[in-house]
Amino acid sequence: MSVIDLPIDRASDAPPEHPSIQVLGDRCAGCQECSIRCPTGALTLDPTTWTVVGDDAACVGCRQCERTCPFSAVVIEGPVLAGARVPVVHEHVGALAGSRVETRQGIASWADALAEAARCLDCPDPTCVRGCPAHNDIPGFVRAVAEGDLDTAHAVLRRTTFLPDVCARVCDQAVQCEGACTWSLAGSAPVAIGALERFVADNAPVPPLLPAGASAGAGDYAAEAHDAAGSNGADRGADDRLEVAVVGSGPAGIGAASALVAAGAKVTVFERDSEPGGLLRWGIPDFTLPDAVARRPWETLVEAGVDLRLAHEVSADDLDLLTFDFDAVVVAAGASVPLRLPVPGGDLEGVWDATRFLTGAHAALAQGTSLEVLSRPATTGRAARVLVLGAGNTAMDVARSARRLGAEAICVDWMDRAYAPVRPDELDEAADEGVDVRFATTVVRLEGEDGRVTAARMVPTRQRKAGTTPEVLDGPETVETVDLVVMAMGYRVPPELLELDGGTLVPRRVDGFPDRRWLGSGIFANPAPPFARHQPVGALARGREHARREAALPRRERTWVAGDALVGPATVVEAMAQGKRAAESILDHQPRRPGRARPVAGRVLVAVESRTGTTAARAEALSGALAGAGADVRVLPLASVSTTELAWADALVVATWVEGLVVAKVGPARATRAWLDRLPPLAGMPVALLCTYAVSPGRTLPLMRVSVERHGGRVVAAEALGRRSPSAAADGNATKAMAGALLEAVAGRAE
Amino acid sequence: MTITAPPDLSPGSDRPSDPFDPVPVAVHLRPPRRAGAEERFAATDPRKGWDLAAHPRVARVLRNRKLQFFLILPNQLVFWLVIMLGLLGTVVPGLNFGTAITWYIWFCLVFVMMVVVGRAWCAMCPFGGFAEWIQRRTFWQRTQKTLGLGRKFPEPLARYGLLLSVGSFLLLTWIEEFFNIAGPGNPMDTSFMVLGIVTSALIFFLAFERRSFCRYVCPLSALIGSVGAVGTAAGFRTRDRQVCLDCKTKDCMRGGEEGFGCPWYTWPGSADSNLTCGLCTECYKACPSDNIGFYLQPPMTSVVAPSRRRADVAWSVALLWGLVFFQQFNATNVYASLDGWLTKYTGIAYPNPVDYLGIIVAMAAVFAGIAWVASRALVRDDLPTPMAAAKRSFIDKTSRFRAFFVPVAYGVIPVVGADYFARQLPKFFKHAARIVPSVGAWFGLGSTHSSLYNTRILSNPSIVTVQVAVIALGTLAAAVATWRIASRDLVPVSDHPVATRVTSLAIVAAVGLTAGILYVLMHAAS
Repeated sequence: MSVIDLPIDRASDAPPEHPSIQVLGDRCAGCQECSIRCPTGALTLDPTTWTVVGDDAACVGCRQCERTCPFSAVVIEGPVLAGARVPVVHEHVGALAGSRVETRQGIASWADALAEAARCLDCPDPTCVRGCPAHNDIPGFVRAVAEGDLDTAHAVLRRTTFLPDVCARVCDQAVQCEGACTWSLAGSAPVAIGALERFVADNAPVPPLLPAGASAGAGDYAAEAHDAAGSNGADRGADDRLEVAVVGSGPAGIGAASALVAAGAKVTVFERDSEPGGLLRWGIPDFTLPDAVARRPWETLVEAGVDLRLAHEVSADDLDLLTFDFDAVVVAAGASVPLRLPVPGGDLEGVWDATRFLTGAHAALAQGTSLEVLSRPATTGRAARVLVLGAGNTAMDVARSARRLGAEAICVDWMDRAYAPVRPDELDEAADEGVDVRFATTVVRLEGEDGRVTAARMVPTRQRKAGTTPEVLDGPETVETVDLVVMAMGYRVPPELLELDGGTLVPRRVDGFPDRRWLGSGIFANPAPPFARHQPVGALARGREHARREAALPRRERTWVAGDALVGPATVVEAMAQGKRAAESILDHQPRRPGRARPVAGRVLVAVESRTGTTAARAEALSGALAGAGADVRVLPLASVSTTELAWADALVVATWVEGLVVAKVGPARATRAWLDRLPPLAGMPVALLCTYAVSPGRTLPLMRVSVERHGGRVVAAEALGRRSPSAAADGNATKAMAGALLEAVAGRAE
Repeated sequence: MTITAPPDLSPGSDRPSDPFDPVPVAVHLRPPRRAGAEERFAATDPRKGWDLAAHPRVARVLRNRKLQFFLILPNQLVFWLVIMLGLLGTVVPGLNFGTAITWYIWFCLVFVMMVVVGRAWCAMCPFGGFAEWIQRRTFWQRTQKTLGLGRKFPEPLARYGLLLSVGSFLLLTWIEEFFNIAGPGNPMDTSFMVLGIVTSALIFFLAFERRSFCRYVCPLSALIGSVGAVGTAAGFRTRDRQVCLDCKTKDCMRGGEEGFGCPWYTWPGSADSNLTCGLCTECYKACPSDNIGFYLQPPMTSVVAPSRRRADVAWSVALLWGLVFFQQFNATNVYASLDGWLTKYTGIAYPNPVDYLGIIVAMAAVFAGIAWVASRALVRDDLPTPMAAAKRSFIDKTSRFRAFFVPVAYGVIPVVGADYFARQLPKFFKHAARIVPSVGAWFGLGSTHSSLYNTRILSNPSIVTVQVAVIALGTLAAAVATWRIASRDLVPVSDHPVATRVTSLAIVAAVGLTAGILYVLMHAAS
């Protein structure tokens, strides 16, 4: 087997033919974290010394053991036996002008697909799955490919993604699944997961969303879809069916609609454009995502019975109205406001935003024409010149589309090339196609004649560190003749939509202690592998997972937000995964609009911070009262209540002991206060507060109330119980009253 | 209804049924090896009832993140006081609080703790504690980012386990003898010694991860670790091994939200002695399943019972025996003439490094040599070699010699420990009372004429009696331990069970007799 030509730090002068395993005897504690995760079974426990021993012959050098050993007691020396990655063409083939041909080609043959699939180690704890924002079962589908079973492979993918054909083309796999592949983490070339996914999606027939016979065609879906689905209780008679509105038909809307309709819910999608697909349609050019592929998801969804209402704008004010007509609303409206550079001359004619250009270019290329604005200079005998402000991925799409329309394209970005958030492969492809990309440059003035832009004045800039604002230098000014300027500096979420998120986006970078299972998988251990362009794949994946989990929480009562509208401009796969997660949350909660009965019992999460057990005992008494009244109750220590647990609940009880100087400065325990401060939006969730005290509860309950209400919770009951209570009966009554108030609020919410 | 761990956080469940987290569907970990665990740990696993953490109050204290800080703090204050007073206080050693507390009280106390508890000192040590505060950037919080390079301790040294620690103990003892620091000599020297230890601890804590310093370099680590085996603290151990084997996250080793990963490189799930448990409580705090207990054990369990007998411990015991022998032997007239003769030729005053190291190594070699001869005569030469043995490191290698030497070395731990303990007694009995005038000296009250300054708790002949009694007790304990070790580890590899028992007991008796006689001779010489 040959070794991939990638920098491998450990390479010595004369690397041995085969990796060797060294287990550090004094450190190995025999915990077997390595051996349970070794893909090849090269590590076993020696029961005599209770340490692990390695079998060199079985080792492939993937170093999963090194990454997962808690005491770094395993050292692998020698090559990574990753094998050669099947080459895939990523270059424009043929004439560029007017072309709609895909630049990136897929795997060409079955032989290549089998060879690539054979490179997968089928890791017991696959880090690629965590690297994938949708958590596709990558080893599972690759295994199916290796067995020659494309239908199974497709089915495995479709468990977690509705867009394998799209994602395979548009995902930046290097910082997602492939970057997190064991081979990549070991410093070598990962399995070509994206190419294999595309091979499956392109060559296996798309399975229908609903079982055979259930799909009814557009417009006439309701009865049949309802009859066929229902395995998970989404429908119990026609009147009881969950009815959900989805605002936006982009990736997040697709993710939500597909999961909902597959579960038998009645889904209505509102799209402001005249064609569905959102960013998939207008944002990604044909040379990356062909029309046929971009159209496919909506063809499937409409066939499955989704009620698609095109040219139907839903304003932020309309959202509240929607909640009266639907049981739940998913806002998947994206980040649609283009950013504009405030530059003198920015209001001249011929200064466009990227959306306008991409939509126009898409239509022009489809019709085999060009844009009027680009044909004008032809009379002077020269090609039209397009100046693209920005050098990110959208800017590359604009510039490359312009090249296909016969224009010259210049991209300028004031960031340094090293820190610009652009995919290097896209940059290379653009350069190959003749796009002139200039980093560390900015436009200081646009000049025009007769109100039309004709020239751009540019100066150099300097950016010393990533994430800092570049400084504009006094350096030499250059002037470029331009016929069209396109501002492609990115997008933002419309402010009125942002209000839903409480004015801030959900961050995709998180601090604090990572999920223990993620830590155990070793994904954080080699933080920046070369294949991932030295990006921290583990931290990136963790941030995406944080956003996906947040998507499970409603932002307002019965209103969920997913995709770019939730996190700001991100990726197709993240948006889809968030939409799907929001849909799962809706299916799980079965919310109903006022006047309709909710088919599931109210679920109460009791979060307890107890020190001596007094608070825990009172919380248990309350839980008993709640359970007795028919609620589904879960009691958890406060510290282990995270977004996931909150997403499960319809109502919340926070029980805590109090901390302070006997009677002065008495408030909720410090852990409780910290936990309340970190609460995600509660979207009107009914909350009951309970504290136990020895001498005085002080200001505990008011402080907790303020905290809860700040996060959108609705406090419906609050009680302070003395540790030495005067009467058990009084306590019992208080508990019963709290349980009653809480359940009443839950019931009131459902009606 | 009880408070339960959330299902998605309990180790062992990979949540395949959770529709909201698709990752577990793709996870298919290999089952861990469980076979043999019951038998292997049967003798060393503490009894259920001996778990101190089973008491809610103890559990609450152990769970408190400030616990270790408050253990370290008093020692920390005393040691900075020692440094300051050594530099600025009176030059009369007996009146300087720094020297008095260090050599009359602290050193003796460490030995008592070691014999009774094990690594109790390590939990409160101001050297490691100070450096760890800086390494963790906190006094008690669970922080994420550490300060320093976080390197792994170099394997060429780490593979010899405790032996580097023995080396640094030999070096420190030589320095102490050479400058007569513990004599005690000039109080300033004590300050410099303490500062030296703090500085080197800090350097190692900043260069290497976790408590690499404590585990591999600290001069006291090998001594406390090996002699501590007679102690009654088993340390933090698993409550249910199956839960530990099922755990897929090992928060006790990696670190969890509530606790750091074990700074000592110990897994409570496989610990079979108290050798490398620093009693820092981090694993107890980190465990998400509340599956770690703080256990006591009958004295000498960690001498008699461990299944994994480590060669580094055996050699440490041999060398430490050599050192304590030297410290007794150097009080005799024979030694005085030998050292004088060497000093004449090398120009280095007492203790000459040649005879210092020579005597220590010679005693260790005599011990090992006897074991070698005994192994040739008694250990079968057809011992099966385990398949995995070829790749074992120094600590776990097997041979005919090791089959006899290593268990016997464990057996003499009680008598070597008793010897170290006995050697500290004169200073305590003669001078412990000086701590009072040394405190008085701060206020100008203490003087060398103070009656407490000259008060002796015991007279010289009585001290020797106590010393010999301590050695006798240690020898007896060692004999009992060796008898049981012989039954467990030696007889099964020998064709001559009686000769094996007699030989191993004879070795223990020889060590005990040598130590006992030397105390009498030392007394005679002085």
